[in-house]
Amino acid sequence: MKLMKHRSTQAFMVILVMLWASAASAELLIRVTEGRVDAVPIAVVPFAGAQGAPEDVSQIVQADLHRSGQFKPLPAEDMLSRPSNESEMIYRDFRVLGMEYVVAGSMKALESGGYEVKYALFDVSRQVKLLEESYRPPASQLRDVAHAISDRIYEQLTGIPGAFSTKILYVTYNRNDGKNPYQLQYADADGHRVTTILRSKEPIMSPTWSPDGRKVAYVSFENQGLPSIYVHELATTQREKVSSFKGINGAPDWSPDGQKLALTLSRDGNPEIYMLDLNTKALTRLTQHYGIDTEPRWLPDGKSLVFTSSRSGGPQIYKLNINDKSVRRVSFQGAYNARSDVTPDGRYLVYVHRRNGSFNVGVQDLQRGTFNIVTRTDMDESPSVAPNGSMVIYGTQDGGTGVLQAVSIDGRVKVELPSKEGEVREPAWSPFL
Amino acid sequence: MRSFLNPLFALMLAAVLAACSSTPAEDDSSATTAPEPTDTSPVTPVEPATPVKPDTSSIPLTADNFYNHPSNYDGTTDTRVIYFAFDSNTVPAAAFETLRAHATYLKNNSNAKVRLEGHADERGTREYNVALSERRSQAVEKFLRVQGVSSSQIDVVSYGEEKPAASGHSEMDWAKNRRVEINYTAGTP
Repeated sequence: MKLMKHRSTQAFMVILVMLWASAASAELLIRVTEGRVDAVPIAVVPFAGAQGAPEDVSQIVQADLHRSGQFKPLPAEDMLSRPSNESEMIYRDFRVLGMEYVVAGSMKALESGGYEVKYALFDVSRQVKLLEESYRPPASQLRDVAHAISDRIYEQLTGIPGAFSTKILYVTYNRNDGKNPYQLQYADADGHRVTTILRSKEPIMSPTWSPDGRKVAYVSFENQGLPSIYVHELATTQREKVSSFKGINGAPDWSPDGQKLALTLSRDGNPEIYMLDLNTKALTRLTQHYGIDTEPRWLPDGKSLVFTSSRSGGPQIYKLNINDKSVRRVSFQGAYNARSDVTPDGRYLVYVHRRNGSFNVGVQDLQRGTFNIVTRTDMDESPSVAPNGSMVIYGTQDGGTGVLQAVSIDGRVKVELPSKEGEVREPAWSPFL
Repeated sequence: MRSFLNPLFALMLAAVLAACSSTPAEDDSSATTAPEPTDTSPVTPVEPATPVKPDTSSIPLTADNFYNHPSNYDGTTDTRVIYFAFDSNTVPAAAFETLRAHATYLKNNSNAKVRLEGHADERGTREYNVALSERRSQAVEKFLRVQGVSSSQIDVVSYGEEKPAASGHSEMDWAKNRRVEINYTAGTP
């Protein structure tokens, strides 16, 4: 636990450094459109002393748990009592309301300008305390503490690490901004604290995170309208152009060890998958086919990748062994399957599937061979899996505007992230930070 | 591949193409051969042999025939956009005359250079669309090369769905977005 807090503190400092550059951009709003019917009832009691604080930690925790779709928080006005610590806890008051768990805590302003945040998690039926922690963040890091608390509670109750402290990278397009319609931004996983990485008059595409979450790679057409791939360090804003060959420079994806990029180049006249060693700049061609080969994605073993190929006609997903360059088809349902991502355990492939002219996110279980369509929107693209494997965020359209939505791997939870202005597209979920 | 020509339009198009004696790029050699004179006695033409330009207003313009509609192509270098059918990278017949005009201009002006910008409609995934749109610009490039244009005068860039010409989401918007733009970067006509 100590280790975890230490790590969090380091992350806060990095975030602080990056935040100064962030203008007051439009934040993403979040709406849960479909939760699980068996969502766990939980009461997150408003923390004592939250009045006057810049952030209400308990409110953020409640929103995080709600957004996961796995929990159904009790409205504060329905609570019979509002404990802030173990001694004030009356289990009966929550049991009669059908609650399984209770989160209670407090916030106290310190002389230093920081805050002391304490909380505990209680199991109502067993009448025991499951967790108790305290944090002392500066006021500017209250949101980070709230997400860290959500992560702890989520892991305690589901056995899966929470992904509330992660970030989402995405491209925005604002037609009305004549100067810089394209922007590359990232935000907290709950849509707050937007930071702009790059503004451009020309398209920005295919953003992706390095495995350590410190860098991003993307395609930018800023050089005379031609595509180049950049590696961009977030903390320093220093970036390096790593690929600008003739033709397509596209679809970068970081190897699990962070040393290489898989990418698409058409420098030989046809889109093929290559591997670029970021240290030596050595380039290795991995595919040889006159069809389109693009959208590579590393598998967690670092020895193989999946990609989209038209070698059998329409686009389908193939798996490539990097050592012997052998290729094997993976997707078989329907005439259009493209742009795959993979869960951290390597079990599920998530990709775009066309059915009756509609584009949806499908999940293929590589162990069982089953395939399920998990979205009901109809222009879905760019699915990206959360680092804990629980949710998939993807781009789609709502009322003719590009928006982000998220869905659980089993399709049972759906969350909307509507943007206040312009289009939002190509989300990439960060690794654990 | 679905059927995209309505019968009336197909007929009109055939008439236009016959009138212009256009041929596809692939068998272009025949176009340069003058018609063989027949050995029947000369006939004084009743009417001057002006090419019959169709009244394109009578051809309904639909999302399905948009790419091959004569109203999109005037046969001169003034036309800078070539449209494509859904899921296709075949240069439309109605654009041949226009592309020949560009080819002639480029051959006569060796300082002139074009950038062929390939675009796709928004359906499907973004990087796959970049690849598809590259095939479209490559098809136009091939057409110009077959006409004798030097490769040093042609530059190709592929934008996929990133730079739509029409911002809506209807079939007609998509028809307008499946395109190759011919942009002169030097020696503009």
